Amino acid sequence: MSQTETETTQLRVMDFDCPTCASTVERALAGLDGVEDVTVHYATGRVELTYDPDLAEPAAFERTIEQQGYTPRVA
Amino acid sequence: MEFLPPAALRYYRRNRLALVTAVSGSLYAGGWSLGYLTGFDRASAAILVLATIVGGTHIAKAARREIEARTLGIKTLVTLAAIGAIGIGAYWEAAAVVFLFSLGSYLEGRTMRKTRSALEELLEMTPDVATVRRDDTWVEVPARDVQVGEIVLVRPGEKLPVDGAVDDGESAVDQAPVTGESAPVHKRPGDEVYAGTIAQEGAIEIETTGAGEDTTLQRIIRRVEEAQEAQSPTARRIDRFASYYTPAIVALSIGAFALTRDPMLSLTLLVIGCPGALVIGPPVSVVSAIGNAARNGVLLKGGEHLERAGSIDLVAFDKTGTLTTGNTAVTSVRGFDADATSVLRLAAIAEKRSEHHLASAVLDAAGRSDADGFGTGGPSGSDGSPMTDGGLSASGDATNDLSVEDPEADPSVLADPRDAISEPIPEPDAFDVVAGKGVVAQYEAVEIVVGNRSLLVERGIDLPDAIAEHVREREERGETAVIVAREGTPLGVIAVADEVRESAPEVVAELQAAGVETAMLTGDNERTARAVADAVGIDDYRAALLPEDKQAAIRQFRDDGHVVAMVGDGINDAPSLATADVGIAMGAAGTDTAIETADVALMADDLGRIPYAVGLSKATRRNVSQNVGIAVLTVGLLLAGVLTSYVALAAGMLVHEASVLAVILNGMRLLRH
Repeated sequence: MSQTETETTQLRVMDFDCPTCASTVERALAGLDGVEDVTVHYATGRVELTYDPDLAEPAAFERTIEQQGYTPRVA
Repeated sequence: MEFLPPAALRYYRRNRLALVTAVSGSLYAGGWSLGYLTGFDRASAAILVLATIVGGTHIAKAARREIEARTLGIKTLVTLAAIGAIGIGAYWEAAAVVFLFSLGSYLEGRTMRKTRSALEELLEMTPDVATVRRDDTWVEVPARDVQVGEIVLVRPGEKLPVDGAVDDGESAVDQAPVTGESAPVHKRPGDEVYAGTIAQEGAIEIETTGAGEDTTLQRIIRRVEEAQEAQSPTARRIDRFASYYTPAIVALSIGAFALTRDPMLSLTLLVIGCPGALVIGPPVSVVSAIGNAARNGVLLKGGEHLERAGSIDLVAFDKTGTLTTGNTAVTSVRGFDADATSVLRLAAIAEKRSEHHLASAVLDAAGRSDADGFGTGGPSGSDGSPMTDGGLSASGDATNDLSVEDPEADPSVLADPRDAISEPIPEPDAFDVVAGKGVVAQYEAVEIVVGNRSLLVERGIDLPDAIAEHVREREERGETAVIVAREGTPLGVIAVADEVRESAPEVVAELQAAGVETAMLTGDNERTARAVADAVGIDDYRAALLPEDKQAAIRQFRDDGHVVAMVGDGINDAPSLATADVGIAMGAAGTDTAIETADVALMADDLGRIPYAVGLSKATRRNVSQNVGIAVLTVGLLLAGVLTSYVALAAGMLVHEASVLAVILNGMRLLRH
């Protein structure tokens, strides 16, 4: 197994309108290249991401959330 | 939409739901009015279908994502209902369902954003840049890049960018963001300060102990968010229920169609098939309550603790440091056939390595007596005779006092006590703590015992009546008296006292008024305990308890059927805090252990937060029940209404969305508790 350094980041989405919406965003983010782990919390709107910086492009995280119809914010 | 310039595209994306809702709502209103006037002809049908498409496209897209994710969500159900309604020619119902759902989602998003923003003001507390000393000049750097040990300058009016200790300068610091205290705290060199607090007057230089993510405020925010994200037991039960409810309603919808061939009935069932209010209600209550608490300097560790705290009916307080300030100070030293100074010196040697709060009082007194005399800064505040004044006159009396409370005290037989204590206190050769009783030390082949009566009994030392009488007198004043014995002979008594917190009687009264019983647990003796319990108004006090006895007392309360909260400092009381249903730690801002182990952590040393926290928990419990009530009632009524054909598609959607908004708004009331 190759050793890769992962990085973590946090985003905030304040306008989730239902618990299922948070899980669909979570799945969309999990499908991105280089994303190793992602948790989206409906209650606080917090998005936790662990990714491989060689493969993933952090700007894509925000874009993906916007495409799902929500407003991401760096936090 | 990609043809739009980026700024417009961004604006569209951020406000998509509002725009879509507005457009589909206008189309719906226009189509319905036209239909009403012309008798629902083709033109009005076309407008209503357009309204459904405009309003429904984003719902259908979300439905596809739900299906891809293999979940059966409300968006799938609403999409099916809208398509079905158009299929059977029920155009205005289709448009109404889609519009009402969009409007509901938009309002839900907005209100939830408000709930989620409760922590925002905390998040925005820490400044981004810090002025730090590097190579003897002040430079501005990003706050998170400040290294531990570096000196940071904070000017009056600025927020502190890092955690640290004041190195130079003095300032009144507004600590409300971290501790919830309303009054500013005066900080001097050596005092601990927190990132996110505000220096009000006077510049200070701070030696950094934590920056960036590693500050008390950041740790608190992380814990608050984790607490909000943790599911409460009610929410867990509801989620389990919901996972059966939705498929059951879908099956019912299919079954109903097979039996009645009434497509409208089946479609309406689909729309109410998502227990929205039920699922959303409890988390909103919990998130609002925890957010409110965080802004008031109370860290509630999650919905589970909150729900339990809501049924507290007994609050047990530790005495020292909880009901009292914990700033113990020696009030008197009396020698019996010995001079007071040497009694104090012996005790100081024995206690030198002890970490007990009594030890620091004794060492303080011993240290102080060689400097500016005894009696300055004593807890009674009286201007009693400093022992250095009286120390010069000799006396043949067998009893010798060093007292801050008794100006007529008989002075020491020795000359100036400064001679006795001015040299540094030596380390004992051996030292042993007898938990809850005192210490036994060896110094230059002499055994020194410092402790309470039961320690003396344990060591087989007899207590002369005069000493026992003096001890009793001191204890009846609410002081703690320890006996100092040398080689098995009691030589004197040191009395220490600790101020009862000003707010304590009020807090106890407030709890009792709210129907909560109170108790006090202390390691101190019966008489001291009674004096303090009387002063604060607690009837049930348990004295002379060892740490394990405190734990047993808590267990006993629980066995008696009480839901017990224990209030303590979070470190010495950790076992009893863990045994209680709800462990409440005071003054947790400076101690990570307390933040980690307690169920409820009060950031400041403010007892007044306890009735607030208990009240908030009770309000939350009621709020959760109300929300569950609203949701169950709505689902029940809707189901009954649909099955008896009283409620049709659009009305079903309206009631469903209204109930979701009702529980969110109800939960949000807790933000303003």
